[in-house]
Amino acid sequence: MAINEPTNATHWSEKLQSVPKPVIFGILLLFSTVPLFFPVQLPNKPIDASIDFYAQAMKIPDGGKIILCSDWTNSTRGESKGEMEALLRILMRKHIKFVLLSIGDVQAPQVAKDTIREVSDEEVAKGGTAYKEFEDFVNLGYYAAAEGTILAINNKVLSVAQGKKDFPVGAGPKDALLSPVFSGIKTVSDFNMFILVTASSTNRTILERITNCPMMYMVTGVMVPENTSYYASGQLKGLCGGVKGVFDLENLMEYGINNPGPHEIESEKYKGESIPGWPGKTNTGKGTAYYFALHFALALLVVAVAIGNLGMFVAKRRSK
Amino acid sequence: MDYNLLKQFVAVIATVGLYSVLYKENKFYRFWEHVFMGLASGWGLVALWTEVLKSGWWDKMFGATASDGNGAAMGYWMYIILLPVGLMGYTVFSKKHNWMSRIPIGIILGLYSGQQFSAWMTYYGPLFTASMKPVLPNTSEFWKANPPVTGTVYGSEALTNLISLLTVLTVLTYFLFSFDVKSKVLKASSTTGRWLLMIGFGAIFGSTVMMRFTLLIDRMYFIWIEFVKQGLLHMK
Repeated sequence: MAINEPTNATHWSEKLQSVPKPVIFGILLLFSTVPLFFPVQLPNKPIDASIDFYAQAMKIPDGGKIILCSDWTNSTRGESKGEMEALLRILMRKHIKFVLLSIGDVQAPQVAKDTIREVSDEEVAKGGTAYKEFEDFVNLGYYAAAEGTILAINNKVLSVAQGKKDFPVGAGPKDALLSPVFSGIKTVSDFNMFILVTASSTNRTILERITNCPMMYMVTGVMVPENTSYYASGQLKGLCGGVKGVFDLENLMEYGINNPGPHEIESEKYKGESIPGWPGKTNTGKGTAYYFALHFALALLVVAVAIGNLGMFVAKRRSK
Repeated sequence: MDYNLLKQFVAVIATVGLYSVLYKENKFYRFWEHVFMGLASGWGLVALWTEVLKSGWWDKMFGATASDGNGAAMGYWMYIILLPVGLMGYTVFSKKHNWMSRIPIGIILGLYSGQQFSAWMTYYGPLFTASMKPVLPNTSEFWKANPPVTGTVYGSEALTNLISLLTVLTVLTYFLFSFDVKSKVLKASSTTGRWLLMIGFGAIFGSTVMMRFTLLIDRMYFIWIEFVKQGLLHMK
């Protein structure tokens, strides 16, 4: 449908196939931007994978401990940041302490720390407590040897933190192992969950090596088909994928699971259980903000494909 | 203008600069591309020392004295052996000595191969098990009861499992490249497998497009909502 150079198309069917690329990009920008100014709460039915993710996260006892492997950077901010924010809101409200590390990208720990600070500030503004580095979470930073590191986490988790320093704001470097997050930890099974937020192939590295701790993933949209197999086989306890996953989580945080009301989200799997949400708190974020605009952009794509094919069909018939 | 807004302003200019290539190749785009590459390289170099070499090698070799609440740590001089082994990797640039680069490569390959035996089973084992599902119903009911009775295979479930099994088998036959397939049944199965693969790739491509759109929406949100609306105009 689109071309870069101007053509001498005369018939409308030829013109339909030769719309200049800048025009299409311009329309796409418009379709992606205008809906952002008119946020609409779309109806939603969270998928099982997202429901499991939320339910399992909520089942981590208050004050529990998890490992959070953050392997995303600003290149996938659109999806991964929304996922990370939703997860952090759950962790902070349940006072779950976590070990933060990255095996995917050298910039990832800093990006994660920035997001933690933002969500912590947001929670404080709403009457929550600040999440402090070293006390509530400990940052082990980046590990270059992904395979060896993950295997070491599975077999001898404390060895991974040995020699690592955490750099909390306003204090000197501190031995990561002295953090309260590691207090009482002897093996990886002492952690309640291993959660990975990723936009790269580290999902497979971890899946191949972690056997002693339940796992859940938050992945980008393009990784959903692959990771759905791992969720279906039970290797993952829950899966949050792409902007749909974030939107699901935000809905679940607002309404909970099996809580009677006008917006009840029912789950057959958790029948007989009522998993609460946090109505009145900041639950909506990037998922809700982007989902409406995404529908517009996808509608444009469908229309563009249909127009291009119509033009091609008519032009072919004319040439016969 | 406060610091945060200034930071956002630079990010907005960088975003516009990088998107300007959609119109055509230009110097503004090139500038921001090089800024990005320079920042990433600089960050990577520093992190290589602080996150990898210092904590994983240097500090362990020299140990540490107790300070600021941190305990003392014994140094292990044997870590020095890693230096010549690591440096051997750079002999790949020398025609005369490049044989030495194979030593660290061999060590890495050996370590990786050793891990892969158990990794393979951890990865594929549950997938194999999950593929083996009952394809015959054991009740006359087609639709799943609410709540479902444990151990009952409903008609709809059996049908889903059958589709799943047929997909696995037909896709596997598509990859029978090592001999000439003459059987009509195998050919039909292979063709079905190819179609199913294409449907799968279509779904993956759809997810990819959706992800790219989300990235664009995110940048637009950053420019118009976070910077212009909330930052400049102080609107909620």
